[in-house]
Amino acid sequence: MRRLPLLAVASAATALVLAACSGSPAPDPSSPSDAASGGSTASDGTDAPTQAGGTLVYASGDAEPTCLDPHVGGNYPQALISTQYLEPLVGRAADGTTTPWLATEWTVSEDGLTWDFTLAERTFTDGTPFDAAAVKANIEHLQDPDTGSSTGYLAVEKVTEVEVVDDRHARFHLSEPDAALLESLAQQWTAIQSPTGLARGMEENCLAPAGTGPFVVTGWTPQQQVDLVANPDYVDATGEAAPPLLDGITWRFVPDAATRYAALVSGEVDVIDNPQPDTITAAEADASLGIEHIDNPRPGSVNRIELNSGQTPFDDIRVREAFIRSANPGPGIEALFSSTAVPSFSPLSSVEPVAVSREEQFTYDLDAANTLLDEAGWTERDADGYRTKDGARLSVRFPVSTNQSVPAEQALFQQIQANVKEAGFEVVLTPLDLGAWYAALGAHEYEAVSAPYTKVGPDVLRILYHSSGTEPAPSGYFANHAYVRDAELDALLDEASATQDAAQRADLLEQAQVRILEGYYILPLYDQQNHFLVRGVTGIDTSNPVATLSFQTASLTD
Amino acid sequence: MTTTPGPSRRALLRVAALAGRALLVVWVTATVVFLALRAAGGDPVEAVLGGPGSQAGPEAVAAARAQYGLDLPIWQQYLLQLWRVLTLDLGDSYARRTPVLDLVLSALGPTAALAVSALVLGWLLALGAAWLVSWARAVSGRLAPVGRAVVAVVRGWEVLASVLPHFWLGAVLVALFAVGLRWFPATSTPGSLAGLVLPTVTLAIPLAGFLGQLLGEGVGDAESRPFATTARARGAGPTRVFARHTLRHAAIPTVALTGWAFGFLVSGAVVVETLFGRPGLGRLLVDSTLQRDVPVVMGAIVVIALVYVLLTVVTEAVEGLLDPRAATTGEDR
Repeated sequence: MRRLPLLAVASAATALVLAACSGSPAPDPSSPSDAASGGSTASDGTDAPTQAGGTLVYASGDAEPTCLDPHVGGNYPQALISTQYLEPLVGRAADGTTTPWLATEWTVSEDGLTWDFTLAERTFTDGTPFDAAAVKANIEHLQDPDTGSSTGYLAVEKVTEVEVVDDRHARFHLSEPDAALLESLAQQWTAIQSPTGLARGMEENCLAPAGTGPFVVTGWTPQQQVDLVANPDYVDATGEAAPPLLDGITWRFVPDAATRYAALVSGEVDVIDNPQPDTITAAEADASLGIEHIDNPRPGSVNRIELNSGQTPFDDIRVREAFIRSANPGPGIEALFSSTAVPSFSPLSSVEPVAVSREEQFTYDLDAANTLLDEAGWTERDADGYRTKDGARLSVRFPVSTNQSVPAEQALFQQIQANVKEAGFEVVLTPLDLGAWYAALGAHEYEAVSAPYTKVGPDVLRILYHSSGTEPAPSGYFANHAYVRDAELDALLDEASATQDAAQRADLLEQAQVRILEGYYILPLYDQQNHFLVRGVTGIDTSNPVATLSFQTASLTD
Repeated sequence: MTTTPGPSRRALLRVAALAGRALLVVWVTATVVFLALRAAGGDPVEAVLGGPGSQAGPEAVAAARAQYGLDLPIWQQYLLQLWRVLTLDLGDSYARRTPVLDLVLSALGPTAALAVSALVLGWLLALGAAWLVSWARAVSGRLAPVGRAVVAVVRGWEVLASVLPHFWLGAVLVALFAVGLRWFPATSTPGSLAGLVLPTVTLAIPLAGFLGQLLGEGVGDAESRPFATTARARGAGPTRVFARHTLRHAAIPTVALTGWAFGFLVSGAVVVETLFGRPGLGRLLVDSTLQRDVPVVMGAIVVIALVYVLLTVVTEAVEGLLDPRAATTGEDR
């Protein structure tokens, strides 16, 4: 992969040119909305003149979805774009409580097996009414093997049936209690689509799913862009008519980070995602660029290095602790991410209200690490300075996904590699593309790995650390990469899933996190990075449960 | 050959040889692609189920395997792929579920536009450089130091240009002409002519370096030949000698290189299309390889290989036009 030198050179070149010509006002040749207005430069956005209409251009660096229906598969790029046209049953407030959206009210039975939802009055953009039958059709679509849903399928796997009580009331029957049901239904991957649209078949529905959202998909040119126009009849979560101020969105796919930033600076595009840390700092340092930075960390789990406790050498807790005590990622995070990422000491994202943070467990202590390794029997050192035991080297295979780990993160892994060498660990970093990386994980050819996982709510702990997560899915994938098989932890997670009492659930989940942290299975790094750079746009809504942006209330300034 | 083949027989043989060559190229590329995608790891069924790392249920995985023949033994999958390629039934994309042919054809247009414009610009730049050198040599009697300096600068530029990596060159051009001067957009959509400029220049400059070196060598060689001397003796100026005599001589090996240049442009397109966010075969290949979308990778590479074979035939024909000796002797070699 040539990305690293490419990015380094490109951002250096960009920085040079920016330094030379910053401050010159920017006429925008590509955006029709800007052509009409004068040369006022957008500042922080709050007092800039806004105008209705215009087409916003969004440049995404995430992979282009292969299907615009997030039920099919179910990954973050699909969540990003489908936020513009599909809405979930419920939302989620910053404090973790569930808020009404397409469902206005809900009650759960004493035994936790029956959930009643009251539905809002809405119409899908294809004219189909939103009702209980539509909800039923959507859950069945998620559960249909032909749909090939992964995220959504796992989210609703405990739902045995959706009963249509009447148009406005749907009743979910569960096989076992699921305290995380509302969090699962808040995810963009379980958002509700028109049943008429679904009935067209997957091929057609993938091209233009119809929802109740503020925009409508009108066209998709592969590898280039998806065209969206405003839904004039849009009704928001509060039940108010709220058509978007924009005429539409051009959703472009621009894989190269330096090009995306160049396009933003030169006014070709209005919003970019996945900016590199150095460009975020550059944009923040130069106010004359008029670029706003949105830092919207993803919910669920934190980015972390997981140590495979299922095989040697990390099947010994002392060796795991020694690795974590000698890794010292803090200075590297600060230097490489230029303070756009904050070190984490929790298994959960900082946006999760129940996240437990235990900094004291992760303080750098090389002496302690050496003592632990001596105790664990790794007492010899070979000619290269690595520890050995019975002739075997203390070696850690660390496959790195070049698609998911940005250059700064890959550089951080190299620093950790150098740090743990002091204690006698050999870390073999292998850069792999996504397919080969998952194959290596499926074959257990790793001792350490960093794998992102996004799910709304602390229930992500159950997916990542319950021993059932060590059983591979039929595709070979298993989510519990740390290979945690701890009956007591399983019990805590099962109980948390079954309880209806919020306080009790929080307490159980906090205990579970302490158990994970004290087992030294993971080295938390930072929240799952989710940065956006914006120029000349105000009113962007960042409150979607999976931390995507909504442009329903956005308008172009300038 | 003992008997003299008639014109129709000769044409038939030619077509048969061409078809044989095309088949061989297709078989080799299809086999290499199949083996390489297998060796790279990852399960193609993941592509069917929404990308690598899919956590789809057991029924979904079983259904996908059966639907795409992924439950067959590997040699049967290989034969199936070969059969599909041979019958030009490229099948459906695992990931997009649309026919591979549609995907490849819609990506072919933008890449062809880019490759052709880069080839034209590359040739123009190389011709300009060759003419400049030729002119400088011709007048160096009067302006010896200037002439030598011009030759040195052009040679230096050609060597430098031919080693510039596409990703670096593209990034610099974006920084200068998109962010700095704002003459051209940083991203490129096929509908926009302005958007074609920076990707074209990015591909054309290293190409012009290669072509220019070869063309310059040929021109220098031709200038010392008797026919050039004769032309000059008859009073032809440097430009006339260049255009009428030496260029024609020098162009033959350079034209032969154009088939190779196409391969160079396609591999460059992989980088340039990703850099400029432009659709095309290169980007389709990258995306599909990452997804282990075997039919699309196979289809794209087979189409590229066929175009390559076709271009080689065309360049041979052009060579024949430029130098009739190649056409007659080449046949019986």
